Amino acid sequence: MGETLTKPKTAIQKEHYFSLSFVLSRVLNSGVIMSIERNDQELKGLEKSIAKLTQTRYVSLFNTYTGALHGALWGQDIGHGSEARLAHPSEQERSFLQWLGISLVQNPQVPLPYAAVDVNWDNLGELDPAISQARASAPVLVLDFTGLGFGPVAAIAANDELVWKKAERLKIFGAFDLQTMWTQEESEPDLQPAVQFNYRLSPLVAACVKLSLLRRNNAS
Amino acid sequence: MKTDFIRKPLALPQEEWARNPLAFLGGPSIIPEDVRKTNFPIITKEDLIQMFVSIQQDGEQVVEEFQEAYRKYVGANYAIATASGTASLHLALVGVGVQPGDEVIVPAFTFIASAQAVVAAKAIPIFVDIDPVTYCLDPSKVERAITGKTKAIMPVHVHGLPADLQALRSIADRHSLRLLEDASHAHSASINGQVAGSIGDGAGQSLMADKNFPVGGEGGIAFFREKADYDRALSFLRTSGIDYRMSWIAAAFGLSQLERLPYYDAIRARNAAYLTKELEGTRLFSGPFVPEGYKHSYNMYRVKLSPERLGLDDLQDFRVKDAVQQLINEEGVYAREWQNVPIPGHLPFKNRKGFGNGYPFSLSDREDFGYDLRHFPETLNMLRNSLTICRELRTPIEYERIQAYALAFKKIDANPEAIRELASRSSDLTVLYERDARLG
Repeated sequence: MGETLTKPKTAIQKEHYFSLSFVLSRVLNSGVIMSIERNDQELKGLEKSIAKLTQTRYVSLFNTYTGALHGALWGQDIGHGSEARLAHPSEQERSFLQWLGISLVQNPQVPLPYAAVDVNWDNLGELDPAISQARASAPVLVLDFTGLGFGPVAAIAANDELVWKKAERLKIFGAFDLQTMWTQEESEPDLQPAVQFNYRLSPLVAACVKLSLLRRNNAS
Repeated sequence: MKTDFIRKPLALPQEEWARNPLAFLGGPSIIPEDVRKTNFPIITKEDLIQMFVSIQQDGEQVVEEFQEAYRKYVGANYAIATASGTASLHLALVGVGVQPGDEVIVPAFTFIASAQAVVAAKAIPIFVDIDPVTYCLDPSKVERAITGKTKAIMPVHVHGLPADLQALRSIADRHSLRLLEDASHAHSASINGQVAGSIGDGAGQSLMADKNFPVGGEGGIAFFREKADYDRALSFLRTSGIDYRMSWIAAAFGLSQLERLPYYDAIRARNAAYLTKELEGTRLFSGPFVPEGYKHSYNMYRVKLSPERLGLDDLQDFRVKDAVQQLINEEGVYAREWQNVPIPGHLPFKNRKGFGNGYPFSLSDREDFGYDLRHFPETLNMLRNSLTICRELRTPIEYERIQAYALAFKKIDANPEAIRELASRSSDLTVLYERDARLG
C-alpha cells in the first residue's frame, strides 16, 4: 500500500479510452480546468462521490498520496516532533513521516491515525469491504487513486469536521484561503495556517476519478 | 452543453465613449456587462486531440515528453516536472543545497508559495523590500540581509518582469550564495534573450492553469544548471518519500499548449504595449516599466496611480486607488488589488508554526526575523497606489477589447472630481494591508 512512486501495475485499459476521453473533452469544453475556479464542479463532484462511497461527512482531495497522508496527520495535530503508529507502514510512508519529523512508534496504545485503501482497476468493483474495514480501524480514511492511472491522486475522508478543516488549511488555496479571497475576511482566525503546500488536484484528474467511481459496479 | 464559448462580440470602440458619463454615475459602461467575459486558458481542438493521443500512451512517457520539450524551450540544462509550482520551488531549493536552518532571501512582495517553499525546504525566509519601479527584489537592499546562515537568494520575476539577475548574481558570487529564480509568472520572459528559468543556478516555475503557459490544471517544473544540483533534487525525492510527480493529464495539455505559447505571448505583448502607450496619454495612470533588454511576459499588468498629477494628492493614496477601482470596475475593466499584505504579514509568518512546534523557525537563533511590515515601505507604497489586471490581459484578448480597456482608463482620468468625491466618502475604509491577508 502506498508505494505510489512505483508505476501502477494496470494502465488504463482500452475499453475505458472512449469514456475517459469523453469526460476529459467535456471538462475541457467547459473551460474550467483550474482548481481555484469558483464555478468548478469536478472537484466538488468527486468529493461528493467519495463521501458517498465512504459514508463520511468530509472529504479533502490531494494531488498525491503523500499529500493526503500529510493532510490526515496534520488534521489530527500530528506534526513535527509528534509520534504516530502505523499498522504496516510502507517504505515510502516511513520515509515521508521521517521527513515530516514524526516518529514512528509501535506502542499498541497509540491509536492509528489513518487507514489507507489503495484503489485500482482490479479492486474498483469491490471496494466496500476494504473501506468498511478501514473505517473501523481509524478515524481518517486515506484513499489512494493513483493506481487508476491518471497520475498521483488521493483523498482523505473523515467524520470530524476539524480534521477536514485542518487538512484544508494545509493547502495553499485550500477551502479557507479561497473563502478569504471571496469574502476578503479570514473566516477561521483561530485555525491558522502554518506551513502550506500546493496539494490541490486538477479538475481534469478529478473528473476521471469520479467517472471511474461512478462506473465501479461495471468494473471487472 | 457546458461551454466557455463567448457568444456575443464586443462592439468596435469609439473615442467618444470616454466622454460619456461615468457608468458609476449611471452612464453607459465602456464594456457592457454581457460582453465582459474573457477565457483563460484558451482551449482548442489541438488540446483535445493531444489528450486522446496521450491517454493511449504510457503516462510516465507523456510527462517525460512534456518535461523535455519545455526544458528545451526554456534552454535549461536539467528539468523535473512536478505536481505544482510550490513543489518545483521546493525541489529547486533543495537541489541547490539549501539545508534545514539555512536562510533564503526572498522578496516581501510575491505569492505566498515563494516563501512557503522555503519553509518546505526547512529553511527560513528572510524578506527584503522591492524596487519601487520594477516591483521585483531590490538588489541594493539584499546585501544588508545576508548573514552567516544565508544560503541562497531567490528573486521572483513578479508579474512576468525578470528581476535584476545580473546585480543579484554579482551579490551571490561575492558571498558564495546560490541564485534561484521563482519564474512562476515569467514564462517566455527573458533578459537579453536568455529565458527566465535558465539563468539562475536553479529555478521553480508554476504551470497551473492561470499561468501564461498552463498545463492541465496544476503543475510546475524545476530547472537546474548543474547536474549535481539536479541529482541532489532527485535524491531528495527518493529519500523523503514525497510524491511530487505531475499527472500525465496535466502534461498532455501542456504539450499542445506549448505549440501555441509563442502565438499567445505575441498577442499579450501586443496588447500590453498598446495599453502602456495609451496610458502614457493619461495623467493618473502608467503601465509597467520594462528595462532595456528585458522581455516582460505580462502574466499580470500592474497599473500605477499618480494622484498628484491629477491634483488629488491631498487625499490618501489608498482611498484614491479604491475609488478608481470602483469606477473602472463599473466600466467593465476588472482592475483590482492583487495581494493586499506583504508576505511576512501573512498568518503563517506571523505565527511561525511551520511543520509543527515552530520547526524550522525553531532552528534559528534570531529573536527578530525582520517580518514587521515597517521594513517594507516600497511594497506598502506599491500596494496603496496600484491596481492589477490579471486574467483579463493574460488571455490573448481581441484588439477591440484592449482598445476598450484603454478607453476606460481615459474615461476615469477625465473625471478627477468623481474620484475625489468617491475617495472622500470612504471614511470607514482601512488601508489594505491592515485588512485580513488574501493570497491573491
